[in-house]
Amino acid sequence: MLINPIFALQALPVDVNFASIAPELIVIIAGVLVMLVDAFAAPKQRWLTGGISLAGIVAAGVACVLMWNDAGTGGVVTSSFNGMIVVDQMRLSFTFVFLIVSALTILMSMLWVEREALPAGEFHSLLMFATAGMMLMASGGDLVIIFLGLEVLSIATYVMAGFRRNDLRSNESALKYFILGAFSSAFLLYGIALTYGATSTALEGGTTNIAVIADRIAAGTAIYPQLLFAGAALMIIGFGFKIATAPFHVWTPDVYEGAPTVVTAFMAAGPKAAGFAAFMRVFVFGFPLVATSALSIQVHAAWINALVVLAILTMTIGNTAALVQKNVKRMLAYSSIAHAGYALVGFIAAGVTLDITKQNDAIAGVVFYMLTYAVMNLGAFAIVMLIARGGDRRTELEDYTGIGFKAPALAFALSLFLLSLLGVPLTAGFIGKVVVFRSALDPAVMNDYRNVMTLLVVVGVINTAISAYYYLGLIVVMFFRERTTEWRAPRVPASVAVTLILTLAGVLYLGVFPGKVIDAFRRNAINVSRLR
Amino acid sequence: MTPQLSWYLALSAVMFTIGVAGVILKRNAISMFMCIELMLNSVNLTFVAFSSFFNNLNGQLFVFIVMAVAAAEAAVGLGIIIALFRNRESLDVDDANLLKL
Repeated sequence: MLINPIFALQALPVDVNFASIAPELIVIIAGVLVMLVDAFAAPKQRWLTGGISLAGIVAAGVACVLMWNDAGTGGVVTSSFNGMIVVDQMRLSFTFVFLIVSALTILMSMLWVEREALPAGEFHSLLMFATAGMMLMASGGDLVIIFLGLEVLSIATYVMAGFRRNDLRSNESALKYFILGAFSSAFLLYGIALTYGATSTALEGGTTNIAVIADRIAAGTAIYPQLLFAGAALMIIGFGFKIATAPFHVWTPDVYEGAPTVVTAFMAAGPKAAGFAAFMRVFVFGFPLVATSALSIQVHAAWINALVVLAILTMTIGNTAALVQKNVKRMLAYSSIAHAGYALVGFIAAGVTLDITKQNDAIAGVVFYMLTYAVMNLGAFAIVMLIARGGDRRTELEDYTGIGFKAPALAFALSLFLLSLLGVPLTAGFIGKVVVFRSALDPAVMNDYRNVMTLLVVVGVINTAISAYYYLGLIVVMFFRERTTEWRAPRVPASVAVTLILTLAGVLYLGVFPGKVIDAFRRNAINVSRLR
Repeated sequence: MTPQLSWYLALSAVMFTIGVAGVILKRNAISMFMCIELMLNSVNLTFVAFSSFFNNLNGQLFVFIVMAVAAAEAAVGLGIIIALFRNRESLDVDDANLLKL
């Protein structure tokens, strides 16, 4: 029997390298351990689950730092598992951000699961699996891994959104998240399928490897170039849903309001950063501009223009809708949409910069933005959670009236987080915006896009001014309104206090001494995923 | 007449569109969920068509992964729908209006 030569060609040696996925493996093993402990431990030892999760996160962080050092010394494994996993600066920096988000979420959740008598083990193991999904999205060099990571993340998050099973709002939030999440995954998947077909050549079948996709487009050997546009458009819709860009943002406020506050904090910080990681990996590295290829120029122009429109819509709709919100969680949901718009500016800058070093800087800027957003957002939500009390009932703006001088520590901390979200100098949010906008205005940006990038920055700055109204509005409500009803300051448990101290320190540190972190994200300027 | 690749692609595009229309128009959570499954299966058809016409296995492997993911999604999705039904006794998504859109 004849062996089909094309199938024979595919029998490559399996490039197994567990060291390159060590952080992911550690997190998954910790998640399984948490499930086992939860099943066998006595009810009184349930607090162990949080501890084991934290230990897993720390171990994964150590593995991540070790890989980081390796990547600097030249002993670099750039990809493993036949291109399925990439090891580069962008992946490691994003992994670092996800680990911070998870660690802070675990600290916040310890109180909450205890107070609401929810199954802590289930929550923590789901959180660990969601973290592993996010990490896979950042490390995938192939659309298969990105899709799998996205689904591992999404499925865990659907359950977490509906975690308060007897609360109708939590149920509704989970249902909406599930229906729209699965809907958007289907769009993403169809985009992947069309890209897979479009990259077929006369000699070989299609590919889902991002680097090979870029090669095929550059070589101009793809047989169905038209399908590529449809595929890219569908992938933009799919990712656009995940990172909540307008006009694909309608699910965000409902889901964020209904979900338990801890989960909302996690959803706004983690999955959004993971969405950006995968989105940038696919578009910046999969559809780059190659001047010698007509197809590449067309595809590149198409996706850049689409993202420019999305970024402007996202910033404007997010901020204007936040102005009229009466519920703090909803307001922060719209603010989270607006922040996705600011980060998109950095993403577009990475797309229109041809200089590889500058492109790396732009990507590092987006990662840094995601880190600052995660820190200030988690801090703000930790305080919202404390003020909401049991059952997450007190989240209206009225519930914050006049609490400023009754719980000064909490109110001042919340004010600092809000000022940082607004982007006041000496806070993390300011530096995040500066870094992103600076890469948009960098001289390395292609000439054709100079004006567009300037426009984006102008829109971003105007929107920052608009956002002052609602961020400062909440501060005014806290400090300068009289409260007529009885109100006692909530007790701050140790784990939440640790979260608050860490996030406050983070906001100030990133705001005053950002250089070290940005340099760490930028280091190793070789773009390994492009060199393959 | 031998089957062409474009036939399969057209069929899967039509199926995908029916699924999208269903999710937008249907008001019952289970029906919406079934329409999403239809979308996923039309994607599978696209993958298999490309895979078979170009003698490349990647597409078939992707289909297995999509099936596994769809099964996991179904388990979680039905769980969420049951939890909602227990508390509300209705699957109409228009009744799920506690959180204003």
